[in-house]
Amino acid sequence: MTTTDTSENISSVYRFLAQCMEYPDQSWMSDNFFLALDNLLDNLGGQTEKESIHKALAGPSKYTDSIEDLQVEYTRLFINARPHVVAPPYGSVYIDKSLQGKFAGDTLAFYREKGFAMDDSADLPDHLIHELEFLSLLAADNDQEGEELFLKKFFRPWFRQFHQRVVAESQHPYFQVVSQLIDFFTKEEDNDGFQLNPA
Amino acid sequence: MAFNLTRRKFLQTASLAAAAVPLSKVVSAETGITKAPLDAMGTHGDQTVVGGICEMCFWRCQLVGKVRDGRLMKLEGNPKSIDNGAAICARGNAGVKLLYDPDRLKYPLKNVGKRGAPTWKRISWQEALDTCGDKLNQVVDKYGAHGISVFPHGASAKYPMHYFERTVGTHNVSEASFFQCRGVRDTAYIATTGKAPGEKVDMPNTKVMFFIGTHIGENVHVSHVKQYIQGLQNGAKLIVADPRFSASAAKADIWVQIKPGTDTAYMLAIMNYLVQNDKYDHDFIENHSYGFEEFSEAIKEWTLEKAAAECDIPAAQIKEVADLLAANAPNVAIHPGRHVTWHGNDFQRQRALACLTGLLGAYYVKGGWVPAKGPKVKGFSWKNHDHGTDYNLNYNQEEEALRHPYAPPGTPSELIRDCAISGKPYPIKGCVVWGQNPMQTIPNQEKMKQVFMQMDFVMCVDIMPTDATLWADILLPEASYLERYDYIKKGTQWNLAETHQQYIAPRMPLVDPMFERKDQVYITNELAKRMGHASEIPVKSLEEMTEKSLASAGLSIAQIKAEDGIHIQPGKDPYSMPEDFEVQLYNDDLADAGFPGAPTYIAVPDVPKGFARLLYGRAPVHTFNRSQNNVWLHNAMPVNPVWVNNEVAGKLGLMDGDTVSVVNSEGVASGTTTTVKVTPGIRKDCVYMYHGYGSTNPALSVGKDQGIDDQKLITILTADPESGCSGMRNNFVKLVKNGKVLDMPA
Repeated sequence: MTTTDTSENISSVYRFLAQCMEYPDQSWMSDNFFLALDNLLDNLGGQTEKESIHKALAGPSKYTDSIEDLQVEYTRLFINARPHVVAPPYGSVYIDKSLQGKFAGDTLAFYREKGFAMDDSADLPDHLIHELEFLSLLAADNDQEGEELFLKKFFRPWFRQFHQRVVAESQHPYFQVVSQLIDFFTKEEDNDGFQLNPA
Repeated sequence: MAFNLTRRKFLQTASLAAAAVPLSKVVSAETGITKAPLDAMGTHGDQTVVGGICEMCFWRCQLVGKVRDGRLMKLEGNPKSIDNGAAICARGNAGVKLLYDPDRLKYPLKNVGKRGAPTWKRISWQEALDTCGDKLNQVVDKYGAHGISVFPHGASAKYPMHYFERTVGTHNVSEASFFQCRGVRDTAYIATTGKAPGEKVDMPNTKVMFFIGTHIGENVHVSHVKQYIQGLQNGAKLIVADPRFSASAAKADIWVQIKPGTDTAYMLAIMNYLVQNDKYDHDFIENHSYGFEEFSEAIKEWTLEKAAAECDIPAAQIKEVADLLAANAPNVAIHPGRHVTWHGNDFQRQRALACLTGLLGAYYVKGGWVPAKGPKVKGFSWKNHDHGTDYNLNYNQEEEALRHPYAPPGTPSELIRDCAISGKPYPIKGCVVWGQNPMQTIPNQEKMKQVFMQMDFVMCVDIMPTDATLWADILLPEASYLERYDYIKKGTQWNLAETHQQYIAPRMPLVDPMFERKDQVYITNELAKRMGHASEIPVKSLEEMTEKSLASAGLSIAQIKAEDGIHIQPGKDPYSMPEDFEVQLYNDDLADAGFPGAPTYIAVPDVPKGFARLLYGRAPVHTFNRSQNNVWLHNAMPVNPVWVNNEVAGKLGLMDGDTVSVVNSEGVASGTTTTVKVTPGIRKDCVYMYHGYGSTNPALSVGKDQGIDDQKLITILTADPESGCSGMRNNFVKLVKNGKVLDMPA
C-alpha cells in the first residue's frame, strides 16, 4: 500500500468520523452507514462496541424510534439540556470558556493558512465535525506535517475533555463508541506506537 | 473501552483499506470546509462595525463592535453618540459574553419530557413552526383567539405581540415592563398631566433632585447617570427618600430614611405644607392646573406631624425638604421613578409625584420635568383591529366598565392568570412567552406554574434558557440584539443645556446569527402563514421594517451606515410648555370611577411580629435574571447579599458574610442561600436584596442557584386598584441560619 493510498484511507476515516458526529437523521443514518461502522469496528477488534450499539438500537425505544432516541441524546450531549449540556463540541468552550473565543479564531486562521475556508453554512470553526473534516482534507493532501501540527495545537488540547465527558455521561453507546473511535484515530502515540496521555 | 491495537499498527496494515473503503460511500458530499484561494496574511484584520444598539438593558445605548474574522471581540460606545457617547456600562461590555454564552439556545427544541422538567430534542424549523401553528390553531378553533395568552418582553417581542393582539385578536397580553414595572407610573401621570413621564427630568440643569426610592448608581442607565452626575457636579442638592442607604442616598444632602409604604403620606405632607404656607407656584397653578381647591381640601389633614408619625421620620426633616424644594422652584427635578409597582397602591404615589411637580411649577422649565423633542420615525407593524370588549378580562360586562380603568396597554397579569386557572369566564389554553420570564417577573411562582400546567400548548421564544423556558413544549432560539436589525433608538443630546440636536440610530447586526437562530419577524410571519394571516403580513423581514421606518424620516440603512451608525440633525428647544398643558390636581374622571380624585394615602399592612419587610432593587451589573448567567457579570457580583440592620444582626447573632436562607410569612423558602451584609444603612423593619438571582434552570451553568431569588419570596398578591399592576413589596420574611429560623426583632 502506497503512502498516497494510506493518506486517502485516513482521509476517509476522518471524514466518516465527522459524519458520525452529525445530528442523527434518517437521511444519512442508513443501514449502509451502520454496516460501514460495523466494518470499521470489526477491523479494530471492536466487537463489544459493535454489539453494544446494535443492542441499543434494537432495544425498546424510549421515544418513537431508535433514531429519535439518538436525536434526544445528541441534543442532551451537545446542544442544550437540563441539567447541563454535557459536552459542547466546540474547542473554545474548553479553552476559552466561551463560544467563538480566541481558540476559534486561531483555528480558522490555521484553516486559511493551509488554503481552506469555512463555508457560509458551516458551524463554528472549532466544531468537532469541522476539525475532523479539516483533518480529512489534510490527509487527502498527504500533508502529514500539517495534520500532526493541527492535532497537537487545535484538536487534542480540548478533545480529551470532550471525550471524557461523553464516555462518562452518554446514555447511548453509539456516542461513546464514536468518541472512542475519534480518540483512537487522533491520540498521540510514542515511537513504539503506545498512546500517550490516555483519556 | 479500548480497541485491540494501536493506531500506528492499524494504519500500517491492510485493515485500514478494508475498513476505509466502505466509509467514503456513506458520508454526505458536503462539508463545512472547502478549498479556497490562499489569502495573504492580514486580509482578515479587525473591523469596526457600526449600528449596535445595546439591549443588555432597556436603555439601549449606541454601540460599535470590534469584529475580527466575524467574531465580535469587544463592544464600545459609539463615539458619535450624543446620548451615551463612548461610554457603556459593565452590562453593555458584557454583551460579548451573552453572544457567545455556550448555554444559549441554538436550535429549535421540542420538549419530549414534561413541562417544568423538560427533555429536549432538536427539531427543524419546519417541524417547530408547523407544530406551533397547528397547536395555536387548535386553541383558536376550540376556544377562540382569547384562548391564547401572551407574555412578551423587549424590543423583539413587539412585533409578535402586535400580531397576537391585533391580528389574531386576543386581549390577553401582559407585559412585565408595564404590569410589574412602570405601567402604573405612566397611567398615573397620564391621568394627571396627559403624558407618560419617562425619566425626563432635566437633572444636569436642576437645583434640586428629589428621589423616592430611585437609586441611580445601582440603577445604571448610562446617559441617565451622566445627567445625574452632571447635576451633582453643577451643585444641585439631592433629596433621597429610601429605607436603605442606597448609592443615591450616599450622595444625598438629605437622606429621608422613610418607613416603606408611606411615601405618599410623606409627599402629601410636603404638598400640604407648600399650600398652607403659600410656597407653591401661583402662576403655574392658576394657568396650568385643575382642581386646586378640592386638592387642597383633600390633603389638608396631612400635617408635618401626622406624616412624621406615619412615615417614622422627623417632622423637621419633612419641613426642611419642603422648604428646600420651594426655595429652588421651579428648577427642581421630581423624579418619576421607573420600577414603581411596590405596594399595590402605587397609582396614588405616582399621582402625588406628578402633583408635587405641578405645585412647584416644575414642568417644561430648566431643571424640571422636560420632555426633550426627539425626531419622528414611523413604526411598521400589524394593523390594528377592533376586537370588542366581549373577551376583555379587564372589562366588567355587568357594570359595563373597566375593572382597572387606568391599566396600561394589555391585560393585568392577575386577571389572565386567574382566568387561566379557573377557566372562568373562559378557558385560556395557549401560551406564548416571548422574551419574558414570567416565573421571575410576576409574583407567586406556584401560581405561574399552575397557569403553565393547565395549558394545551406553551411555546417560548428566547435567547437563553430561563426559569420560564422550562415550561415550554416548543422552545425557539432567537437572534440576539447583536445579530439582528430591529429597534430604532431616537432621542436628543443627553444634556439639554447643550446645542439642541436629535439622533436616529437603528439597530443593525454587528455579527451574523450563529446556529439556527432566527429573528422575530421571520418567526412571527411563519406563524401567521400557518394561522391564516399571510395576507396581513406587514413586512417580509426586519431589514425591510428598518428600511421602511428610516424612509419615513428621509433616511436609509445605507445612509446610516455611511454616517457611522447614527444620523444627527438639528434639534428643538424643549423648554416651552404647550398652551393646553394642565395638571389635574383633582381628577373628576377618577372620582367618577370611584377612585380618589386627589392623591390619597392608602396604608399598607404593617410588618407582622417576628418578620421584616422584603425590599429589593437593581444591581448595577445585572439586568435581573437575564444577565445572571453572564460569566463576566457573575464574577463581578456572584450573589445578592441580604442587607440586615446592624442592631438587628447583633440581636440575631448574625455576622457580616454569614450564609443564610430566607423564608416568608406564607412558608415559602428561598431554596438557595446568600450572604449577610450587616449595615446601619437599612431600617430595622426591613431587609433588602438585589433582584435577579437564584435562577433554577439547571441549563444555566453559571447562574443556577447563585444567590436568592427574591421573586420566589413574593407570594402575597396585591393589585393596584386603578391600574391592575402588581404590588411586590408586601411580603415579609425571616432569615434562616444553620437550619434555625430567626425571629426578626422589632
